[in-house]
Amino acid sequence: MSDPLLASLKSAASGLFAQSARMRVVSENIANASTTGKTPGADPYQRKTISFESVMDENADVDVVQVDQISRDKTPFESQYMPGSAAADSNGMVKMPNVNMLVELADMREASRSYTANTQVIKQVRELASTTIDLMRTS
Amino acid sequence: MRPLQLFDLAFRQNEWLAQRQSVISQNVANANTPGYKAKDVESFEDAMRKSVPMAVTNPDHLSPSGNGVVEARENDPYQAEVLVSGNDVSLEQEFINSYDVMRSYSMNAQILKTFNNMLLTATKG
Repeated sequence: MSDPLLASLKSAASGLFAQSARMRVVSENIANASTTGKTPGADPYQRKTISFESVMDENADVDVVQVDQISRDKTPFESQYMPGSAAADSNGMVKMPNVNMLVELADMREASRSYTANTQVIKQVRELASTTIDLMRTS
Repeated sequence: MRPLQLFDLAFRQNEWLAQRQSVISQNVANANTPGYKAKDVESFEDAMRKSVPMAVTNPDHLSPSGNGVVEARENDPYQAEVLVSGNDVSLEQEFINSYDVMRSYSMNAQILKTFNNMLLTATKG
């Protein structure tokens, strides 16, 4: 059996990685919140979504988390009247990205909360290990 | 008095606590995984009872994996509601458990240290 404390670190690290991938997707969405198409009637930026899956790590004997897939949000685009834009169709309507700022911010907040939780676990594991090491230090 | 038995007991509990910590961290890591159910280890008493080795009459017999038993959390009074994603990890509950582990772990270490000092006093005079 492998060391459970090392396994804890491994699983917490996988959590950190997954949450930072989620953070990356959120920032892509926010950065492209008003990216329209280039040609008349073209589709604008389509919001990305990320999902996680739990995977058994055979070496460490622990469930780690990893990114399952990054897919596109299929919510329909809203059109705005912007006749001056390069992406405007014959009626002057431009399709806007389906990015909702509020949703992205909530997602970002949740990602950072989970990230903090994982760093907290790493701290805790370090403390456990040093309790054992301290046993050898004294006496 | 059997001093070695106490060391053995403390060692076993430390092992169990470390196992519990690893289950806690996998719950925290999977706090946003759809369909993931929070886990916990069986109680120390149960793990101790099971860890008494079974008689092996044939070298091909498999030994039951004693410490690694992980079971889904059931009948938990503080159970978090199951979200639409099917995930029922409660970060608060996980951290309460984690501090529990921390507390027992340092108490264990402290007892071991005291006992070690006693042995040293006896040997050094």
